[in-house]
Amino acid sequence: MPDVTKFSRGGLILFLSFLLMAVFSPALAPYDPWVRFEPYFPPGPEHLLGTNDMGHDILSELIFGSRVSLIVGFGAALMATLIGTAVGLLAGYFKGTTDEILMGITDIFLMIPQIPLIIVLAAFLRPSFWMVALLMGSLWWTSTARVVRSKALQVREMGFVQASRALGFSDRHIIFTDMLPNIFHVIMPKFMLSIASAMIAEASISFLGLGDPTMKSWGMMINFAFTRGGFINGYWWWYLTPGLCITLFVLSVVLLGFALEEQEEATMRLE
Amino acid sequence: MSHTAKRWSRYIIAIVIIFSLNFIIPRAMPGDPLTNLLGEDVLLTDSSVIELRSEMGLDRSWSQQYLDYWWGILHLDLGYSFHRHSPVSEIIFSRMKWTLLLALPSLLLGGVLGTFLGALAGWRSHRKGQKMQTALFLAIYCTPPYFLCLLALYLLSFKLDLFPLKGFYTTGSAVDIAHHLFLPILVMTLFSLSRNYMIMRGSVLQEKSSLYAAFARAKGLYDDEILFRHVFKNALLPIITLLAMDFGFILSGALFVEIVFSMNGMGNLIYDALLSRDYPVLQGSFLIITIMVVSANLLADLLYSSLDPRVRWQ
Amino acid sequence: MSSPLANAAPLLQIEGLSVSFETPLGRVKAAQDVCFDLREGETLALVGETGCGKSVVASAIMKLLPHNASVQGRAVFAGRDLLALGEKEMARTRGSEIAIVFQNPSLSLNPIIRVGKQIAEMLQVHKGISRTRSLQMAEDMLSRLGLVKKETASMYPFQFSGGMNQRVMIATSMILSPRIIIADEPSKGLDGVLAGEVMAEMARIKDQVGASLLLITHDLLLARDISDRMAVMYCGEIVEIGKSREVFSEPLHPYTNALLSCLPERGFQPIPGSSPSMIEPPAGCKFHPRCPQKQDKCMRRPEMVQVESSGEFSGANESTGREVRCWLY
Repeated sequence: MPDVTKFSRGGLILFLSFLLMAVFSPALAPYDPWVRFEPYFPPGPEHLLGTNDMGHDILSELIFGSRVSLIVGFGAALMATLIGTAVGLLAGYFKGTTDEILMGITDIFLMIPQIPLIIVLAAFLRPSFWMVALLMGSLWWTSTARVVRSKALQVREMGFVQASRALGFSDRHIIFTDMLPNIFHVIMPKFMLSIASAMIAEASISFLGLGDPTMKSWGMMINFAFTRGGFINGYWWWYLTPGLCITLFVLSVVLLGFALEEQEEATMRLE
Repeated sequence: MSHTAKRWSRYIIAIVIIFSLNFIIPRAMPGDPLTNLLGEDVLLTDSSVIELRSEMGLDRSWSQQYLDYWWGILHLDLGYSFHRHSPVSEIIFSRMKWTLLLALPSLLLGGVLGTFLGALAGWRSHRKGQKMQTALFLAIYCTPPYFLCLLALYLLSFKLDLFPLKGFYTTGSAVDIAHHLFLPILVMTLFSLSRNYMIMRGSVLQEKSSLYAAFARAKGLYDDEILFRHVFKNALLPIITLLAMDFGFILSGALFVEIVFSMNGMGNLIYDALLSRDYPVLQGSFLIITIMVVSANLLADLLYSSLDPRVRWQ
Repeated sequence: MSSPLANAAPLLQIEGLSVSFETPLGRVKAAQDVCFDLREGETLALVGETGCGKSVVASAIMKLLPHNASVQGRAVFAGRDLLALGEKEMARTRGSEIAIVFQNPSLSLNPIIRVGKQIAEMLQVHKGISRTRSLQMAEDMLSRLGLVKKETASMYPFQFSGGMNQRVMIATSMILSPRIIIADEPSKGLDGVLAGEVMAEMARIKDQVGASLLLITHDLLLARDISDRMAVMYCGEIVEIGKSREVFSEPLHPYTNALLSCLPERGFQPIPGSSPSMIEPPAGCKFHPRCPQKQDKCMRRPEMVQVESSGEFSGANESTGREVRCWLY
């Protein structure tokens, strides 16, 4: 299906562009985003996107903002995926009581309203971005756990796993050598989707003003725009651009996730 | 343990754990628990501080406090907000109805439309026009809800002046309320729709290749007949629980919508509480939201059990 | 089980049916130049090993193949070429005039819809019969197939055994009295006694309704027992066709001979060599690499030729319809 490849290629290009933006921010941004110029400057040749209420160049803010989204998104997703995979693997492989207990815990975590909890905790703790990523990761592992578990249950019954068990290999060995590689391609799409969710969540938290004030994030830009008169005065360049960036970055990640899913399905059909 | 007993125990345990979390957080967080419980910037004399400390039971043991906490909850006593000078439960309940007025229609509309359109999208996934539609909803799915609001506000209120900018009402008439609610409900519906769309589409895509769908075609059923007579129900069942779990996420989205549209529901309540560090209101809101989310999950679970005959006959 | 043969008009004529699939591994030529007739009231068995293409032929006739299949040829039924029909027209034909019974009954039925409703659906969709009346008719059909209890119709497929689900499928396909029934491996997964029962019921209803049966099976004994004529397939081609008893007692094609020798009652002798790939099949006669009587000629593809049959089964003047694809004839 040619259209799918077109989408996923677009997603890949978008993603790489943002990645490059994040890594090479100092080189790409025209100014240091913390340097003050004349505030509320509309877009012009010197400041392509104008300046905000503190006189920071918005374009530079935008470019540096990609770092926060990437770090938080990646960090949270990584943690969520690690925990989720561990829980899902153990539950699916050992079954029985381990499965019951782990799934019970998963169900309970699933019911915790995630963003409200993060809001409450963030209100008290005023955390840095690493903390936020950690918090999100410790709440988001549940959907990965479920998917990994059902795949693990499947893989466990396959011939080569049964053979390994019959031959007396240790559980640890079987999990790492036999089961993990076969579950890997289920984990990857979930990983990408977790990044997407985490990025949106980070943007939402920052929008409420709970983000790390020491770093520029897209969500915080929108927050400032909203609370410091950017919206009322119609300074669309201030809040539309970061919002667009969030949407595009998330979109690129989701497209990649879909592409990985398609690939996995195609491999399965061949088997 | 029977299946039903297991299910109920999970819900009860979840509520106990979350409520206990709510108890622990202000007491475990850095800083004086009294401040954490009262909120910051609350002006009190030294003597009233001592009085309050004993009144709130902070001088008693933790286990005693825990019991008092549960006692209070069962009596619907969620504490007192010093910033607003009234009991938290009163404040929350007065605001909640507005949030529900915003959230419930959007949820229903978004749910029905989303599953319906998503099913068609999964069924007709190879058609050109369908791909455009899916791309559109995918883009909406990826947009943070509050940004969607800002866009809508900017385009339709600011520039085109079609809808009011803020609040639930100006004159209080039904038409006026509807006019104010139109944009927020539109955005909320789109948000909820896009999520349900994606989930349902995925489920239908999976069910499409099943043998019973092929046999339905062999029986002489044509296209949409196969979808709506067979695949739809089969695709819907496994995701009912997913859709209900998404409820929590969508409710959070509603809070943001309120903030952007400056509407006096729970969203803005939480936002103000955040800004003024009114912790009792924050915690009370968290509790209420938890109850709503857990109830939604429970409802979905019950719905699923009654709909899927395979579960009924266990 | 006999019915009038030679002078009956052909109900379904398959002409030059070829099916190939595009796959990542290459082009699979699942069927090549398949030609046969199905006459009114007869039972024709399409036999061969697993993977020889017989199920593909059945699906091709019903236009139920996946998107990556390309089909050539004609399937003429009641004056129309089925393969040239649009999907909507074909949908009307399926189930009502030509019905197919799939291999895996428990998975072919929708697990969460009541059995009676799934049968009644045929009447509702094709004939617009009311819900109550169609359910009643479905119940009657089920009792004719041996499932007499009233509650059966309101139960779900997951509550039934494979045999019961098979009967539900048969009820579904026969309730509109189609003129052709295609049964794809109907006895697969059923033990001997049950298979016999199910086939007997099927044959009974078929005769009542006056339909023709196209039986797809790898079970040679079943084919011999209930079919009038038999077509043997190998690697996507029909290699021999004729009256079942004749083919059994006097196989003409070396493959048929070898196939019959695999039967326990004939010695249980396996065929040497392995099944050929359908992506790169052997040139000429597909069987020649494994054939004990191969000649140089066999590198060229033989045509189907008519053969006069000797022996007690041929009448004085009628043609026996015996055909073989082999250079020996």
